[in-house]
Amino acid sequence: MDPFLYLDRDTWVHRLDPRTKMLLLIGAFVLAFLFVNPLYGLGVLAVVLAFGAAAKSLVNLKRIWFILFMIAVMTVILWTVFGSGVSPLFWFVEYEALLYGIGAALRIDIMIVAGMIFLSTTRNEEIVTGLVKLGIPYRFAFAVSTALRLVPTIAATGSTIGQAQRSRGLDLESGNIIQRVRKNTPLLIPVFVSTIRSTNVFSMALESKGFGASKERTYFLRLAMGRRDAVVLLVFALMLIAAVTLRLMGYGGVEGFSR
Amino acid sequence: MKEIFTMWRHTQMVVLVALSAAIYAAVLIPFKGFTIIPGFTEVRPANVFPFVFGLLFGPAGAWGAAIGNLIGDFFGTLGPGSIAGFIGNFFLGFLPYKMWGSFFRRGENMEQNVNSGKKLAVYIAITILASAICAVWIAWFNDLIGFVPFAALASIITVNNAIAGLVLGPILLLVLYPRVKRWGLLWTEIMSPDEVPASRFQRLGNLLMWVGGLGGLIVGLALGLGLYEQGIAAAGFAPTAGGAGGLTIGLALLPFLILIVVASFLLGGREQVEAAEEETSR
Amino acid sequence: MEPAVSIRDLAYTYRGQKGPALHGVSLDVAQGEFVVIMGHSGAGKSTLCTSLNGLIPHFFRGRMQGEVLIEGRSTREGKVGEFAKDVGLVFQDFEAQLFSTNVALEVAFGPENFEVDREEMVRRVKSVLSQVKLEGFEGRQPATLSGGQKQRLAIASVLAMEPSILCLDEPTTDLDPIGKLGIFEIAEELKDRDDVTLIVVEHETEETLDADRIVVLRDGRIAADRPAREVLRDVALLEESSVMPLGVARFFREKGVEELPLTPEEGLERFKRLGWRVSPERHGELVEADEERERGYGEALIEVEGLSHRYPNGVVALESVDLEVRRGEFLAVLGQNGSGKTTLVKHFNGLLEPTEGSVRVEGEETAEQGIRRLGQRVGYVFQNPDHQIFSDTVFDEVAFGPKVRGFEEDEITERVSEALAAVGLEGYEEEDPFGLTKGERQRVAVASVLAVRPDVLILDEPTTGLDYAEQRSMMDLVRRLNEAGSTIIAVTHTMWVVAEYAHRAVVMKDGRTALSGTVREVFGKEEELRDAALRPPHIVSLGNSLGHTVLSVEEMLGVTEGG
Repeated sequence: MDPFLYLDRDTWVHRLDPRTKMLLLIGAFVLAFLFVNPLYGLGVLAVVLAFGAAAKSLVNLKRIWFILFMIAVMTVILWTVFGSGVSPLFWFVEYEALLYGIGAALRIDIMIVAGMIFLSTTRNEEIVTGLVKLGIPYRFAFAVSTALRLVPTIAATGSTIGQAQRSRGLDLESGNIIQRVRKNTPLLIPVFVSTIRSTNVFSMALESKGFGASKERTYFLRLAMGRRDAVVLLVFALMLIAAVTLRLMGYGGVEGFSR
Repeated sequence: MKEIFTMWRHTQMVVLVALSAAIYAAVLIPFKGFTIIPGFTEVRPANVFPFVFGLLFGPAGAWGAAIGNLIGDFFGTLGPGSIAGFIGNFFLGFLPYKMWGSFFRRGENMEQNVNSGKKLAVYIAITILASAICAVWIAWFNDLIGFVPFAALASIITVNNAIAGLVLGPILLLVLYPRVKRWGLLWTEIMSPDEVPASRFQRLGNLLMWVGGLGGLIVGLALGLGLYEQGIAAAGFAPTAGGAGGLTIGLALLPFLILIVVASFLLGGREQVEAAEEETSR
Repeated sequence: MEPAVSIRDLAYTYRGQKGPALHGVSLDVAQGEFVVIMGHSGAGKSTLCTSLNGLIPHFFRGRMQGEVLIEGRSTREGKVGEFAKDVGLVFQDFEAQLFSTNVALEVAFGPENFEVDREEMVRRVKSVLSQVKLEGFEGRQPATLSGGQKQRLAIASVLAMEPSILCLDEPTTDLDPIGKLGIFEIAEELKDRDDVTLIVVEHETEETLDADRIVVLRDGRIAADRPAREVLRDVALLEESSVMPLGVARFFREKGVEELPLTPEEGLERFKRLGWRVSPERHGELVEADEERERGYGEALIEVEGLSHRYPNGVVALESVDLEVRRGEFLAVLGQNGSGKTTLVKHFNGLLEPTEGSVRVEGEETAEQGIRRLGQRVGYVFQNPDHQIFSDTVFDEVAFGPKVRGFEEDEITERVSEALAAVGLEGYEEEDPFGLTKGERQRVAVASVLAVRPDVLILDEPTTGLDYAEQRSMMDLVRRLNEAGSTIIAVTHTMWVVAEYAHRAVVMKDGRTALSGTVREVFGKEEELRDAALRPPHIVSLGNSLGHTVLSVEEMLGVTEGG
C-alpha cells in the first residue's frame, strides 16, 4: 500500500522545480490567510482548485475529504461558540461569529488542499533535494528522506504486529479509556524494538557506503529552475500583490467580530 | 542548546532521528485512536513516543518527534499548522531529556529508567509540563493565524499528550531502557560531554520553564475563555474588536514563549553524559 | 602478487562481552577468488565480515588484536568510509540497509558520498542495475520491492562504488526460493570476474559448490580452510561445526565410499557404477508406513471449500482452494512469496475471512467464530518473534495469552511451566526475553502460543535465521508436539525440513493449489515443483532419478541394496 499522495502524471506543474512549488505553496498559504470573509475565500478556493485540476491532482481529494469535512465542521462550531458578534441569529449564535467560522474553515481547508496538490505533484526525493538546495544541512535532509522511505515499511510491520497480538487474544475494544490506552503496550513495544534494534545495522550500512567519508558530496538528482518556473512565479507574485492590496483597502474582513 | 546541533556528527544519532521520526509517523496513521476533535487531535497512544524518544535518545528524539509529526502531515494535512506541530512536538521530545538532569544532584543515579519513586515523580512532572508547552506553542500559533481558538486546542493537546505519556510512558520506559542501553543507543552514551552545554543555571532554567509553560497555558486559557475583560480593562487596554486573528492572545503569550526559549538555553545536560561515562568506566 | 585481503591473527572481543568473538584468525584471500565462509551461529562470521571494511575496529567499541590488511593497507588506519571504496559489504538484513526513497538514488548514494561526478553516476546506476537484473526499476520505491529485489538493490548500491572486494553476509537467509535464486545468479556472474574478489557467508551448503575455497569457522577459530570440494567431502568436519553436510555426500560416506560424489548427478553416476539398486520391496514398506499414518489421523479439524480471497485493493490472492486438515497431521504449506500460502493460513485463525467459499474450524465457520474464539483452538506463531515480544520477563510473555483469557493465577503458572517445558526452556521464567538468542526467542514465541493449549499450531517459517543445529532442534521440538497430539501446519520454504518432518504437503502457486498429497507423493513430482519455483533436497532428487522417492539420507540407506 502506498500511503503517499504522489501521483505520477506528466503535467506542467509536475515539471516545475520543487523549489518553485514550495514557494507557490507558501504563497497559497498567504493568499488563503489574507481573506477571512468566506466570499473572498471561495475566490481563493477556486484559484487553488483550478491549479489542482491543471495538475491532475484533484482525484486525491477522495482520500482526504473526510479530514476536510470534519475540520470544517469543528472549526465552524468552535468559532461560533468562542467568538462573538453584534447581530444575534439564534440561541447564543451571532451572525459575525458564524461567518468568521465559515471563513476560518475555508482558509484551513484551502491550505490543506494546497498542501495536497503540492504533495501530489512532488516526489519525496524532490522535496528533500529541494530543501538541500535551499540550504537545509544535508544530514538533516537525509534523516527526513530516510524516515520517508521507512514509514510504509514500519506501518506494515505495525500491521503484522497487530495481527500477531490479536491472534494471541489481545482485545483493544473493551475497557474504559485508560485501560484501552494501556492495552496498546503489546503493540507499541514490538514496533519500537523491532525498528530500533536495526539502528546499528543501519549505521554500519551507512558508514560502509562512505557516509561521512568526505566533507563534500555530489548529488544525483539535478534541479534546475527554468523559464517556466520564472513565468509561473511572476504571475503568482502579481496575483499575491493584487490580493494584498485588496485586503489593505479593507475588503475581505468580517466586521463586528470579536473573540 | 548546542547538543541539538553537535549530535548530527554521530551516524547512530542521525539514524535514530530517522527511525524515531518514521516510527512516530507510521503509528500516527493506522493506530488512529479515539477522536476528540477529528482532524485536529485525538487520544492517540502513539503520543507517548516523543517522551520515550526524548528521554532515551536525547536531541535525536526531539528532532525525531518533530520530523515524525511533519511527515505524518504529509499523509493529508500539510499546512501552516505543520510548522506549529513541528515546534510543539520538538519540545515534547526536547523537554524530557533537557529537564531530567536538573532534578538530580551530582552523584545521584540519574539514569533514564523510571524505576524509583523519585524518578517516577520527576517523569510525571516533566510529562505534564512538556504536554502543556507543546500545547501552548501549537495553540498559540493556530490562534494567531485564526485557525482554532486557543482555549479549545490547548486543553485538548495538553490532555491528549499527558494521558498517553502518563499511562504508557512508565511501562514502556521500564521495558525499553535496559534493552536500549544494551544496544549502546542511549544518547548519554553516544555523545561526549563537550558536545553538551554545561549546566550552570540549571535550577533557574527549571523554574523559568515551569513559569513559561504553565503560565502560558493558564494565561492563554483565561484570555481565551473570556476572563480577560477584568484583567485587561483593569490594566488599561481596550478589548480588540472586529478583524481577523485577535492579537490579544498572540501578544500576551509572547513573554511566556520567550521564557521557555531562554530556559532551554539555561538548562544544560552535560552532567547526564558525564554520569553515564562514570557508569561505564566503573 | 599481494593478496587482496590478508588477515593476520585477528582476535576481537566486543565491549561488554566476556569472551572473544574471534580467537586469532589468519586468512589470505587472493585477488579474484571466491571464498565461502560457513559456521554455526555465533562462530564469528559476521565479526569477520565487519573487520574487512574497518567497522571493526572503528565502529564497535571493543578490543582488537592482530591486523587486517586490505590491499596492503591496515584497517586500523583511516575511517570506515575510506575503505568503502575498496570493500563493499552487504548485510543480511536487507530492510536495514536501504534508505532512499527511490531505487536510482539508493544506488547513487555511495558514489554521492565519494563526490563522483553526475554523468559518471548516471552511467554507473544504469550499469549496476542491469547487473543485478533490476533494469527499469530506477523510479520505484524500495518499499514496493520484494525481499529478493531489495537484497539485489542492496548489492547494486554497493557495486556502484566499484569495490574490488565484495563481502556478502548471509545474503539469502530471509528470502524465498526465487529470491535466493536471484542472488545466486548474481554471485555466479560476479565470481567470473577477475577484478572482483568475492567473499560470501552462506548457510545453504548446496549452493557453495562453485566456490574456490570454503572456510569453516567454529567458536571463533578457523576449523578448515581448503578448496570447496575437499571441505564438502569432509562430512564429519561439517557435522562437528554445525553445518549441514550435503545429503548425497553423507549418504555415500555412510556406505563407506571414498572420493565422495557431491551432487545428485554425480551421485547417480556413482550409484550405477557401483551396481547398487533400490529395493522396490523396502521402498514399498516406506509407502505402506505413509498410508498407515494417514489412516491414523482423526477427524477433520479444518475444512476449506472453494476458498477465494480478494484483497481490498483488488488483488486476488486465493482462488477456489480446497483443503482438509485432520487431527494429528503435520502439514507443510509450500510456495514462493505471493503464492498465497500465508493468505491461506491466515484464514484458519480468523485473521482473514473468505470473500468466497467457506472455511470451517472444528465444524463451525470461521466468520462466525471470530479471532478471539479461534485463537483458543488455532494458535498462530508468526515468523519474527520480535513482532510479539513485549514483556519484561519470559514468564509474563508466555502468560499473556492465558491471562488475557481470564485464567486464574495458579492455572496460569501451571500452563506457563508446561509450555516452557514443551519448548525446552524450563527455568527460563525470569529471563529477559529480549536478551535471548534468536532461536530461544522463537521458542518463547511458540511457548506463548502453546500456553493457550490450542488443537492446531500454525508455524510461519519456523526455521528462518537459525543455523543448522538450531533448525534441527526447533523441528525436533515441533515433531514432539505433533507426536503428543498437536496438529501442525508449517508454512515454509526450507525443503529438507519438509522432507524429513512433514507428513503431507500442499504447494501453492498463483493462489491455487498446484500439488497436494503426502510429502513423498509431492516431492516425486520434480517438474511441477520447478514450476512452482521449488526444488527438492539433493538426496530426494537422487532417489527420484533412481525411480523411487526417498525423503532423507536414512531412508536412502534403508532402501539401497548393494555396497
